[in-house]
Amino acid sequence: MTAGTHLAIMERLERELGDPADPATPLSFSALLAVDEREEFPVTACRRLDELDLHRTYVPAELGGDLTGAEDLLQVIRVLSRRDLTVTIAHCKTYLGAVSVWLAGAPAQAKELARRVLDGAVVSFALTERRHGSDLLAGELTAAPSDGGWSRLDGEKWLINNATRADLLCVLSRTDPSGGPRGFSLVLVDKAGLPERAYRCLPKGVLHGVRGADISGIAFDGALVPADAVVGQPGAGLEVALKSFQITRTLCAGMSLGCVDRALRIATSFALGHELYDRRLVDLPHAARTLAEAYADTLVVEALALLATRSIQALPGELSVASAVVKYLVPTRTDRTIASLAQVLGARALLTGVTGVGGEGFQKVDRDHRIVGIFDGNTLVNLNSLVNQLPQLYRSYWAGTVDADGLAAAATLTTALPRIDGDRLALLSRIGSSVVQGLPALTEAIGAAAAGGDVPAGLAAQAGRLRDAADALHAELTGFRPAARDVPPEDFQLARRYATCFAAAACLHLWWHNRDAVGGDLWADALWVRAALARLLPALARSEDGGEDGELLDALLPHLLAQHRDRMLFSLLPCRLGENRTEVPA
Amino acid sequence: MAEKAEIAAWLTERIAYFLEKQPSDIDPDVELVELGLDSVYALTLCGDIEEHFGLAVEPTLPWDYPTVHALAGHLAETAAGADAAPRV
Amino acid sequence: MIETSNASASIAESTGPEALERLLGDRGDASNPVGDAALLAADERAELPAAGEELLHRYGFNAEFVPVELGGRFTSAEHLMRTARAVFRRDSALGIGYGVTSLIAAVPVWISGRADQQRAFADLLLSGRRASACYTELPHGADFTRDELTARQNGGRLLLNGRKDLVNNVGRSDALLVFARTGQRAGSRSHSHVLVERTELPPDRVTFGPRYHSAGVRGCQLGGVEFRDCPVRPEAVLGTPGVAEGTGLETVMRAFQVTRSVLPGMMTGVVDTQLRTVARFAFTRRLYGRPLADLPQSRAVLAGVFADLLAADCLATVAARGLHLLTSQTVTLAAAVKYFVPVLLQDAAYDLSVLLGARSYLREGEYAIFQKHLRDLPVVTLAHASSAVCLASIVPYLPVLARRAWQPDTASAPDALFQPGAPLPPLDLSGLSLTAGADDLAGTLRAAAMLPRVADDPWLAGPVAALVAELDMLRDRAAALPPRERTVTAGRPGFGLARRYASVLAGAACVGVWHAAPPGSFLADPAWASLALRRLAARLGRDTVPAQRRATATVDERLCAELTDRLADGRACTLTAERLAG
Repeated sequence: MTAGTHLAIMERLERELGDPADPATPLSFSALLAVDEREEFPVTACRRLDELDLHRTYVPAELGGDLTGAEDLLQVIRVLSRRDLTVTIAHCKTYLGAVSVWLAGAPAQAKELARRVLDGAVVSFALTERRHGSDLLAGELTAAPSDGGWSRLDGEKWLINNATRADLLCVLSRTDPSGGPRGFSLVLVDKAGLPERAYRCLPKGVLHGVRGADISGIAFDGALVPADAVVGQPGAGLEVALKSFQITRTLCAGMSLGCVDRALRIATSFALGHELYDRRLVDLPHAARTLAEAYADTLVVEALALLATRSIQALPGELSVASAVVKYLVPTRTDRTIASLAQVLGARALLTGVTGVGGEGFQKVDRDHRIVGIFDGNTLVNLNSLVNQLPQLYRSYWAGTVDADGLAAAATLTTALPRIDGDRLALLSRIGSSVVQGLPALTEAIGAAAAGGDVPAGLAAQAGRLRDAADALHAELTGFRPAARDVPPEDFQLARRYATCFAAAACLHLWWHNRDAVGGDLWADALWVRAALARLLPALARSEDGGEDGELLDALLPHLLAQHRDRMLFSLLPCRLGENRTEVPA
Repeated sequence: MAEKAEIAAWLTERIAYFLEKQPSDIDPDVELVELGLDSVYALTLCGDIEEHFGLAVEPTLPWDYPTVHALAGHLAETAAGADAAPRV
Repeated sequence: MIETSNASASIAESTGPEALERLLGDRGDASNPVGDAALLAADERAELPAAGEELLHRYGFNAEFVPVELGGRFTSAEHLMRTARAVFRRDSALGIGYGVTSLIAAVPVWISGRADQQRAFADLLLSGRRASACYTELPHGADFTRDELTARQNGGRLLLNGRKDLVNNVGRSDALLVFARTGQRAGSRSHSHVLVERTELPPDRVTFGPRYHSAGVRGCQLGGVEFRDCPVRPEAVLGTPGVAEGTGLETVMRAFQVTRSVLPGMMTGVVDTQLRTVARFAFTRRLYGRPLADLPQSRAVLAGVFADLLAADCLATVAARGLHLLTSQTVTLAAAVKYFVPVLLQDAAYDLSVLLGARSYLREGEYAIFQKHLRDLPVVTLAHASSAVCLASIVPYLPVLARRAWQPDTASAPDALFQPGAPLPPLDLSGLSLTAGADDLAGTLRAAAMLPRVADDPWLAGPVAALVAELDMLRDRAAALPPRERTVTAGRPGFGLARRYASVLAGAACVGVWHAAPPGSFLADPAWASLALRRLAARLGRDTVPAQRRATATVDERLCAELTDRLADGRACTLTAERLAG
């Protein structure tokens, strides 16, 4: 694969899904907007995805499916979320339900589940409970030994995606009454194997966004499941769930990327067509800058997402860091990007339905995207996870520990990667993060290249500032010991800074390793990465004037407009969208 | 206080500065709005007029006298009145 | 209580924020027709709560913005702001749909209407009827000078032609104030207001619709109106015929100073309710074996939002009182307040949503009201000027403020500006200026920095000094703004300065309120002010985190203690801690 065809799955899926502006296609913007207004499950859209065999992407190739790497899923999630986040959640959630079996299930269990998913079964991941939310160790649903080696499930799970529609659920169950980290097991429950009285589905939540999604619940009452329904070792439930999260939280970035593409496209279309003060809105400097900033932030998120997703296979032992960074930073930053774009649209950002005045669908993206930061481990959970890893992170930084091969593989888009391997994932990274720890060496390499005239001096200066900021941050972290219970707010702030540092380093690595392989103007003169760093550095290197990033962002704008005009994904990499290209206005 | 021509020259210079043009590009008979001065910005011109000429003027003056010539003419008359006033 | 001094003695018992709050009753009571449950249900139906409209009618809410001389109760912009805030605490749709929409139509009439127009309009409002101001034309947005709807003289009649959109209540208002082109020339002298009653419009010449639906304030009835050779009386032009034509833009620029000064303060009621809702959740929800509120991060969020809400209220209160006390300086202050208070509120709402977690996403259950307010807030923010519009109207004034007002020796504002609820002189609408030159609020910040009780206070000295340094930087940069950066079409540098300036004003308002607070009161405690100021400085990249972490924790504790007290006492989380029903 060359970097130029890196998003081939997206392109193909976009082509198959057709022009989203054509109301006759099942995944058109207007059809999905209408389904949302009626708060209906996107049945037609999901049926179409089944017809396209999309569920085959949820099954690893070695089990007969089409999944060759985590990036395949990132692309699928990104395409679908650009159309409609409800559809993503409705369909892709089967991977979330099944992934713990792929990672830790017995071979026979995995094989059987693969067969079911390939047959179109919907699988759901049932973790949270009404009273306990993200506090998984407080879960009350029990799986107790019963006669003949069976287990008996009692209790309730709530706010579970696809709980009602699922054929199978992977249920986190208390198997030791006293609980604790070894007191829970994941149990794969097949509804078809249960008598009617053994469970009942709870009504779906009435939601702020993704209104059609089946986010409901399930209550078990003496449901008997066979002993081999346990996923992995008994008592390993929490560990397997947390490892699964490392993958799914990383992939959540695809949702943000899809949503922000939609929001930015709506705002850009409006800014090109609307006039104010006798000028096109897009030519008013303030609006133009808002669009350019949103575009730069999109590229930041994409670079981070690509590198982190490839880390699932290339740096699996460090995924505890990367996944927490992604799941905190990407949704939070994207929420902010979408909010800033609303200012370009003004009142149109908030109108529902099809008004014909511009901005249609924006308010839906805005509402829908909010859930990304909430589910599957919310912002605070992920920051807390980073806080707990900070001691390892500063020690590894000063030790200069870098898995150079793994880092190069993660960052080089053309490098083939090993398969996803649950055994190589670690609950906590023992070597910190090669992405951040590789920053000093990278900065030096960039500095040398700049001295030789191969790299813009401006980039070398930015890289130097980033490295200084990373040094300063780690100096501050040195000696850090996380509080067991009372984590002070300042520690969350340190974790936020670390995450920003990680994102900046990710951009720089990705650019460095692909600068010759990927063509296009965005990559010339390191434009995109300089704009990306200009967006991230102010939060790291205290600069009271907010930095002078104006020229870089101004230079970025034409690329945004070109990708918009050519119906290309807003991306570092070329990717043609399904939009009809014959109607392109001059 | 200045003559009309002098005032017009000063105004032309100010407006040219605002618009980042040469004074020679400013047609004194074209309306300010057509030159590219918006409503609010025209208001701030009055701040400059007050400071430079020591005259209290209505902030909306450039709305009512929307060309350099009209504005200069009005300011010259106002100034003459103001100069004359103390002598009466 | 500080409240009461504004309302005239005869009606003090039955009107004002607390009286209205009592009428509205317990919002948690499921049987209350204006309680949360009923309001959520009305929102789901995209209707204004009928019981709420009826209640405000009975209360005579419109009288709050009809001047006393015309038989109303308006004496103070601050009092109006706080009374309306009681409604926004419940339901922004009701606040906008019943009150604010008519208010926006009323102010231009009070500013530029003839006596007979004012009399008739006051009577209309006092009888509980509605009015809408028709400004927005979709192709032109905030650029009113390009508005195309025309009012043309024709055979002794005035003919209206054209359309307006996104006008609240337009289909059900009894009076319409229409911004119309009365001259053909480009520029600022070609528009006027036309005030018509709905009954005088020939039905075949006017069409209402379509209704626009929005994600927030769903009950509001946004619509359009189209006039086709619609004849109205020539006297319908606001003001003296023959003189008033062409003064529309000027009237708008004055009227918006009033409306933009009072609306943000009303909106603080939304986040007040959200804060109280999430605080209740945090105090009762158990996570990791103890109440969520016991986690320091939760307390920091609650304290931070509380501080930001107080900062927002300080700025909003100063803006409303400034209409009376710094009338000629309001042109920039009003825009800054309308820009920045919503920023503070939306950021606060976001932080609260993170703490509330999954329940911030549910339209049902015990905390459902939170997401309703979360949807309403952005709509209210955009109502009556987006942030870009507000910033654009500050930018052109920055250089003159830099030159004249942000110097070290400038005047500072009177203490009365910072005393919520203290008596105010009448509002002189004719004193509203279109030019800027003085900025006594910024002067207050400089003066405060010199006070020993600030300079010697370990919590306050740092953030106040940071904001003064920011003001110095703004002065230097604004003075050096190149010409093209001084217009509404300016680039980021100009907008950036306007944005930062608003934070400085908020800081000045906080210092002023803290300094003027009665000794011993909560507001005189530097804890809230230091946190509010520190957070404002941090927005500007001027972090002033105290060296010891303990100091932050202490501030958080003091604010959380006050928050706990207010929740227990049923008092609001805004400056004046009004007693809430239920």
